[in-house]
Amino acid sequence: MQPLIELQDLTHAYTDAENNQVLALQKLNLQIEQGEFLAVIGANGCGKSTLAKHLNALLLPTGGKCLVNGMDTQDESHLWDIRQTVGMVFQNPDNQIVAAVVEEDVAFGLENIGVPHAEIRPRVETALKAVDMSAYALHAPHLLSGGQKQRVAIAGVVALEPRCIVMDEPTAMLDPLGRKEIMATVKKLQREKQITFVYITHYMNEAMQADRVIVMDHGQIVMQGKPAEVFSRVAELQTLHLEAPLAATVAADLRHAGLSLPRDIITNEELAAALCR
Amino acid sequence: MSIRLEHVDFIYMQGTPYEKQALSDVSLTINKGEFVAVIGHTGSGKSTMVQHLNGLLQPSKGKVFIEDVDLAGKAPNIKACKQKVGMVFQYPEHQIFAETVFEDIAFGPRNKGMSEAEVEQQVHEAMDFVGLDYETYAKRSPFQLSGGQMRRVAIAGVVAMKPDYLILDEPSAGLDPGAKEAIFERIMKLYQARKIAIILVTHSMEEAARYANRILVLSKSRILMDGTPREIFLHHRDELRQASLDIPQTVQLVELLRQGGLKLPEGLLTEPAVVAAIKKVRGLH
Repeated sequence: MQPLIELQDLTHAYTDAENNQVLALQKLNLQIEQGEFLAVIGANGCGKSTLAKHLNALLLPTGGKCLVNGMDTQDESHLWDIRQTVGMVFQNPDNQIVAAVVEEDVAFGLENIGVPHAEIRPRVETALKAVDMSAYALHAPHLLSGGQKQRVAIAGVVALEPRCIVMDEPTAMLDPLGRKEIMATVKKLQREKQITFVYITHYMNEAMQADRVIVMDHGQIVMQGKPAEVFSRVAELQTLHLEAPLAATVAADLRHAGLSLPRDIITNEELAAALCR
Repeated sequence: MSIRLEHVDFIYMQGTPYEKQALSDVSLTINKGEFVAVIGHTGSGKSTMVQHLNGLLQPSKGKVFIEDVDLAGKAPNIKACKQKVGMVFQYPEHQIFAETVFEDIAFGPRNKGMSEAEVEQQVHEAMDFVGLDYETYAKRSPFQLSGGQMRRVAIAGVVAMKPDYLILDEPSAGLDPGAKEAIFERIMKLYQARKIAIILVTHSMEEAARYANRILVLSKSRILMDGTPREIFLHHRDELRQASLDIPQTVQLVELLRQGGLKLPEGLLTEPAVVAAIKKVRGLH
């Protein structure tokens, strides 16, 4: 099966305020499969957000290619198809909400792309149901919690029926409960609607729940694999200014002291199982 | 040397259909030299509470004292008292406005009426404290810096006011783990060198456990708990969960290990302590 998104030597160069040439992305090669939940982690300034903006042609490559469902983002005739294939959710829910009533906010994108009126209502209802916000359809968005607002923003994207949603630190401004709501929503949409997720985050415990993790540094992919493969490499993560999960760090310390433990421990449960046998 | 709230109530939009009680009968004293973490889920009243500490909000009922001066009274030194409390809001880099790092940090001290020589001295010291080299950064535009550096400029602007009490509302939100660590290293240095009070609003139980010596838990507009990290995280786990808060990862891990039959002692809160305890029961060194 053709990957939904394919990056071929994707490069993004720009000139900064002091006239230096900066390579935000350097010859990135990556395939994102249909239905995959891919987490992207890396320190501030590593190129994560630049990468995200290439996936629906908000930015265009200065070298190499970005193919979305086979369409080259540099080909302007595909622009609207690409934007409809890949939706985006950003960090601050307040900046993404435009209407005074939740259901109108979710309908906004549909009206914009000219969906017939009779079709809008069922699509809004389905989208709100998908993010568990049906009960709030007639509420005012500004009186909702951060997690609820962010779910309304996700519903606005889901209503457009994209095949992929790119989320750029969607939980950075939320409390622990809000963060759990967003994680549960992502997994539900992946499971029930087979939506592909590219999920940028600084929270390692969120990335641990993805199917695959890529780690970026200075515009390049420096590590990738299943969460257990990536997060058990404690020392490497630390040199990249990232933190390994507690269980992986403790396991590494214990191994260092001579205890033999499985290599791929990343959760507290796995560590407990290994130690309490 | 303290900030004191006495039976403070606060009601938003009183007398309208949107009326909401944000604080109910909150009494507490924060002394200089304390590092207090304020935790609670969204809407629990954390931000409303800390905005009372420097008179940004005035209580609907009850009283606020800074150094025993009633902020609602008529004492001539009320303004001076309020200036002892510095506030770093969430995402403070959004409030940066000046053309150079120097000008941005100098804004507060100048407003306070310091001489230019004093202003320069304060800016220099504040930049040292947040770990920004004066020679390299003072003349630069703050808008060319990274997110973590911009945040340090914003914190320096408050530090330059030499507050006795420093309120930080989620200072690490949106930063990568390396930048988080750097910010907290600077905050701890400031706390230890100047012996001020730090009031840290955070959603991270790990930060609260690691840095604070006192934790205030807010829930439904009231103070639910007030104690040391050890008391709160080790002895009130169920109440925390009921207030929809997490417990630190370390405490969760120890709980699982003890359930699994590993004979670990109670009272383990930090990662090195957990590792040492496991090594001990396994006879490792």
